[in-house]
Amino acid sequence: MKTLSTAQRVKLARVATGMTQAELADHVGVARQTIGLIEAGRYNPSLALCIKLALATGKTLDGLFWPEGEE
Amino acid sequence: MLFKKLNLDERAVSTTRYAAAIWLGVTQILLAGVVFYRLYVLGQPDEQLRDFQAVLAISLFGYLGLQLFLGGVMPALTWKGAVILWAILAGAIAIFSIGIHGWPAPSDWSSTWLPGLLGPALLVGAYALFAWLGQHRIERLIERDVD
Repeated sequence: MKTLSTAQRVKLARVATGMTQAELADHVGVARQTIGLIEAGRYNPSLALCIKLALATGKTLDGLFWPEGEE
Repeated sequence: MLFKKLNLDERAVSTTRYAAAIWLGVTQILLAGVVFYRLYVLGQPDEQLRDFQAVLAISLFGYLGLQLFLGGVMPALTWKGAVILWAILAGAIAIFSIGIHGWPAPSDWSSTWLPGLLGPALLVGAYALFAWLGQHRIERLIERDVD
């Protein structure tokens, strides 16, 4: 089974909530480009932003950001 | 509306700081280039460049001092380390100066030996002070938050 990257999991979580990048960005108080860069794997968000993203997408911090296959 | 709405977030802040740090470095290098060009190419006397030199010194040492104080990111010096560092700096200055200008006359001590020995001492002392103050400040912040 193919493992998903953190960036892909963030994107999947957002799509599952039905939010656009702009809507998620507004929800967590960042620029749309920041969400785009996170989903492209080009920006490492701070822990504070990770928590906001997890809360906004209804995921746990581990579920969204912890590498798959790691304990 | 002149601009589209943009949330200023952590990425914008860190990018702004990164850009400012890079451009500060570029500005300092350009300013140093101006000083060297005027001194050694145009042959202007040192006294006419005091303002440029002062701005450059304030910028360089202010930046390093703030980094040391705000970040506590540089290792604090031990007494032994400070003395060794001072000896290396003063020794290097003495070797180069004597090599270029020869052994100074004893009567010129105030413009030869004094700045050569005192300058490195001030530099090492300022570094040690700011490094210690920076780390002390961080330790106090940690203690305050724990209490």
